[in-house]
Amino acid sequence: MSPQAVVIEGLRKMFPSPNGLGQFAVIESLSLEIACGNFVSVVGPSGCGKSTLLNIIAGIEPHDAGQVRIAPQDGTGSSARIGYVFQSPRLLNWLTVEDNIKFALEAQNIERGCWDERVKKYLDMVGLAGQERNFPLKLSGGMQQRVAIARAFAIEPDILLMDEPFSHLDEITARKMRVDLMHILERARPTILFVTHSLREAVYLSEEVYMMTVKPARIFKHLRVEIPRPREPEDPRLFDLEKNLVKEFFAVLEQDHR
Amino acid sequence: MIGLLLLWKAVSLFFLPTFLPSPVELLIRIWSIFSNPSAYPIIGKTLERVLAGLILSMLIGAAIGLVMGLRRAVGTFLDSWIMVLLTFPSISWAFLSVLWFGISEIAPIFTVVLIVFPYVTMNVWEGTKAMDKDLTDMAAVFRAKRSLLLRKVLIPQLMPYLFSSLRISFALSWKIALVSEAFGAGRGVGKELMYWFQGTRADMMLAWGASFMVLMALFDALVLRPWENRVFSWRQITAA
Repeated sequence: MSPQAVVIEGLRKMFPSPNGLGQFAVIESLSLEIACGNFVSVVGPSGCGKSTLLNIIAGIEPHDAGQVRIAPQDGTGSSARIGYVFQSPRLLNWLTVEDNIKFALEAQNIERGCWDERVKKYLDMVGLAGQERNFPLKLSGGMQQRVAIARAFAIEPDILLMDEPFSHLDEITARKMRVDLMHILERARPTILFVTHSLREAVYLSEEVYMMTVKPARIFKHLRVEIPRPREPEDPRLFDLEKNLVKEFFAVLEQDHR
Repeated sequence: MIGLLLLWKAVSLFFLPTFLPSPVELLIRIWSIFSNPSAYPIIGKTLERVLAGLILSMLIGAAIGLVMGLRRAVGTFLDSWIMVLLTFPSISWAFLSVLWFGISEIAPIFTVVLIVFPYVTMNVWEGTKAMDKDLTDMAAVFRAKRSLLLRKVLIPQLMPYLFSSLRISFALSWKIALVSEAFGAGRGVGKELMYWFQGTRADMMLAWGASFMVLMALFDALVLRPWENRVFSWRQITAA
């Protein structure tokens, strides 16, 4: 059993109520564990607090109760490097593709000497070799998201957080990006926490899936996807799994409504 | 355009050339200014003051605006003070600075800065409100230090506001510099205007004003615009 990269216990997050009076819990007693090197998805309906969960792990949002433990880096013992791919690319449009990646490298205090090599390696990996000097606005949405993925991988993160990274893309582009991501993972294997509302995407990509319901977000199911990788997106075993999970999901939603 | 010139010509026929010169007479007077070598040090002196006032106003104004945007408490505190400065009559600053600094180099520059920097501050502060929080979050996730955040994320987002401030400041600076020179400078274009005013020579006042206007338009076309286009080159190419 490999060590845990992320352990979350009894997490609670409160938001102010829309009417301005008091607070309500977006996340309530949420616990999950991610083993080092694993690809773990969290699936839940939109607006259930998945992004909030990632922001808490990334350390840019405080939480109200519970524990979030992130294992320090192997060897150095310094805190883990965290990469993040957002729903939208969040590129700095005034910087070239290359400088966008170097921004992350500079932010992470990565030695200047290896910047060029990193830029080249990870742009190659996402299939954008030769776009170094282009500005983001000249690229299509899919290509911009590839730059964002290259930026996250370029810091060689211990943990990579991905927040519905393909949800803003058309389905054909998204499918291609998922297949490409699967191939990228054969070459670079950070621990990944992938958040999505698509069960199909989750079962295709992940080794483990956590399923969440809304208001407040809590986990009602945890399963392993025992299909060897790399997988075919149209593998019938994936469809079966998805079908069963969808059924289960709606059963839980119904229950919540009653 | 031609219609306007003809109208001008027609109206000018009713007056003395020194009161309202015709277009051709005005051109002749402008030529007389530029053909006299002693005009250049005067124009140079004024340009020096305009630029000094402009640069100081931009630096002070942008710094205050940025701090107001990044620190909410500072923003609320300074908001009303900036409004006070904005509403204080310009002419009072021009007189006050002569009282405080006498006929000196400081007086016109001080006047320009006090009148112009609040506009820059307001504009830049407005800009900080329009900044994209998603990008700030992105920088935070990647652990960007404050200086990196400022250089690569925040200030580039303020560039449109800085350029519009620069435009406004530039237009204001030279007008104010001239007014304050009229009262409080030993030499300068403002002083020339005062001199011709005392001689009731509207034609020469118009000639000086027009000359300066042309100079400023040239500066805008040859320096400001190309610079702006360069800075925003990333915008001109849009997604394929």
